[in-house]
Amino acid sequence: MSLRSNERQWGSVAKFFHWTIALAILGNGTFGLLMDLAHSPMQKINWLALHKSIGLTVLALVLLRVLWRWRDGRPREEAAPRWQQWSARIVHALLYLLIVAIPLSGWWFNSVTGKPLQWFKQFNLPALAAKNDELRHFAHGVHEYLFWFLILLLVAHVGAALKHHVFDHDNVLRRMLPFGRPTSRGDRS
Amino acid sequence: MKRLAILLALALPLAAAATDYTVQPASSTLGFSNTFQGESFDGKFGRWTAAISYDAANLASSKFDVEVDLASVKTGDGDRDSALPGSDFFDVAKFPKAHFVTTGFRQVGAKVIADGTLTLHGISKPVSLDVTFTPQAGGATLDVAGTVKRLDFGVGTGDYADTSVIGGDVKVTAHLQLAAK
Repeated sequence: MSLRSNERQWGSVAKFFHWTIALAILGNGTFGLLMDLAHSPMQKINWLALHKSIGLTVLALVLLRVLWRWRDGRPREEAAPRWQQWSARIVHALLYLLIVAIPLSGWWFNSVTGKPLQWFKQFNLPALAAKNDELRHFAHGVHEYLFWFLILLLVAHVGAALKHHVFDHDNVLRRMLPFGRPTSRGDRS
Repeated sequence: MKRLAILLALALPLAAAATDYTVQPASSTLGFSNTFQGESFDGKFGRWTAAISYDAANLASSKFDVEVDLASVKTGDGDRDSALPGSDFFDVAKFPKAHFVTTGFRQVGAKVIADGTLTLHGISKPVSLDVTFTPQAGGATLDVAGTVKRLDFGVGTGDYADTSVIGGDVKVTAHLQLAAK
């Protein structure tokens, strides 16, 4: 499997970005929703610090991913009805937008709350906005609802991938699976 | 003998001649700084009193006696300001005040160091402060700076003892505007 993507399948770098970011953002999102289970204020402080560190890591990975995608290109689109191709493109564009917007909105939420932002206790990052108690609640809502919106799109994304795999028997899912290889049987065009 | 007694009697008040000062609260501050998650923050105490007797030429008779109302702490963060007076930190319900009283002064080169005892959170330990005393017309300014190791005083123990999150060395500073009594 080559590092770069080719006509038939995604390269290992693209796959690495896809699956690492998927796992990190889902794990960290779930973790974020469970923050209130912390049984002491200090545990919550430490959990939040970890949540923020993972979120910043996701943001950095997404930026690298976009750069890579821009240099790397992608496999050719499978033959499909136009509406399917367009909905796939729109969902993909929104997914990219959200995986940037979710960590950024968290950073903004942290800024208006006036809390420090530290990456795994290694270094601190500046605030994106001034402390503003009135925006605190709103910013938290934005951060959380963007995640729910991501989940909604994910249902469509995963549903479409499974539909291609199970019903169309094509390579759409296989060419993105970590150790998957496209099969000639799956070649439709 | 009689003459000596008179001389002594005259000299005694001179020997004890450190001037008493009153603090001008409006232009005086007592604060501290520490770090939280790698970011420094400043705190201030709104209510405190200080009895200051000082004479640079007569350190032996100088004395600082400071009492701080710990519930008056403000650090610019609501969560922190509600946590600090609580039982995990100052525990003002049990220990409402901190008290610092000097036990002596040392001249170290050009610097003066005030050694004293700080009683905080029910624990008394020695703490030393750098003293900068600047006489002015009708009074003086007094700046002190020192470090208080919060864990020595049991401030923020248990989960909060993690100094990689909440710094262990708290820098205490005060600026006092003094008027001669």
